[in-house]
Amino acid sequence: MAKSMLIISRQAPWNGPSAREALDIALAGGAFDLPLGMLFLDDGVFQLAPHQQPAAVQQKNLAANLQALPMFGVEALFACQHSLALRGLAADTLALPVDVLDDAALQALIARFDQVVTL
Amino acid sequence: MKFAIAVFSPAHAPSSRRALRFAEAVLAGGHEIARLFFYQDGVHSASANVVAPQDEQDIAAQWRAFIDSHQLDAVVCIAAALRRGVLDETEASRYQRPAVNLPKPWELSGLGQLHEAAQQADRLICFGGD
Amino acid sequence: MPTLHVISHSPFGDERLISCLRLLGSEDGLLLCGDAVYALHDGSETQRLLQAAGLGQRLFALDEDLQARAITGGLAKVVDYRAFVALSLHYDKVNSWL
Repeated sequence: MAKSMLIISRQAPWNGPSAREALDIALAGGAFDLPLGMLFLDDGVFQLAPHQQPAAVQQKNLAANLQALPMFGVEALFACQHSLALRGLAADTLALPVDVLDDAALQALIARFDQVVTL
Repeated sequence: MKFAIAVFSPAHAPSSRRALRFAEAVLAGGHEIARLFFYQDGVHSASANVVAPQDEQDIAAQWRAFIDSHQLDAVVCIAAALRRGVLDETEASRYQRPAVNLPKPWELSGLGQLHEAAQQADRLICFGGD
Repeated sequence: MPTLHVISHSPFGDERLISCLRLLGSEDGLLLCGDAVYALHDGSETQRLLQAAGLGQRLFALDEDLQARAITGGLAKVVDYRAFVALSLHYDKVNSWL
């Protein structure tokens, strides 16, 4: 049975390639039908903020790529409730359908996966 | 036990040296390294062009020597490498760039190799960020 | 499945340690290396934070980084690379906070 991997993305979207490169790990794994999950934590939740205009900083639309995750079989998407609240992001306005989890649920989430990569 | 070790930082970063020391300890402990995978700024740990100051550790050279002497599988992510200007002969030629700075023993390949190693290994460990 | 979390950033002006402690499972371990060992500095706010977190035998620090910075392990069990490898096998997986 394939090992499952949780990818935790902690960087804001326009802070260099980190957000994109975390997503690329997920998409690559999805292409191989691996059981994956993706968690947006700390500044990573800013990737989910609505109405962003990446063209203003001459960047590609990360949200469009994030929306491709389910097409690659990565449907287990999560966001940290505390990170959202700290940053004033309302769970019901996010650009991607994610399960918003509190700390206890996140502990259980991390425990469930065979491997974790946090970037 | 088998380890997959991923390096996300350049040769001058403490985490690249730390990854190397960890990798050495893995082998010294009688374990195997399924693959070394260099991603994000880790591609710079594979650069042949790094000139370490004379009074500092030459971690890029130490990585090369370690990989060579143990005949390890060392993969550099091609997308991360291109973006950061770390190119082998094929890519330098393909993109008409003036310099080749990724030597053997490293191979350029995709993130699939990271996943394959993660699946094969008993443990996946990442180093980087600092 | 207990996880060994690894942090290498200084806790001052960085969110990693705080976030990690929030997500730390009751059987998870935490290894401090690199500048993260500053969290163990005597008299620091972070030392108090780690004390309060009650990690007991599940808190580790890499010897070379403590020595380089003249910090004593204190709360943390001091480990070398050989022990770091052993820890990575003792726990089910390793999560490095890159």
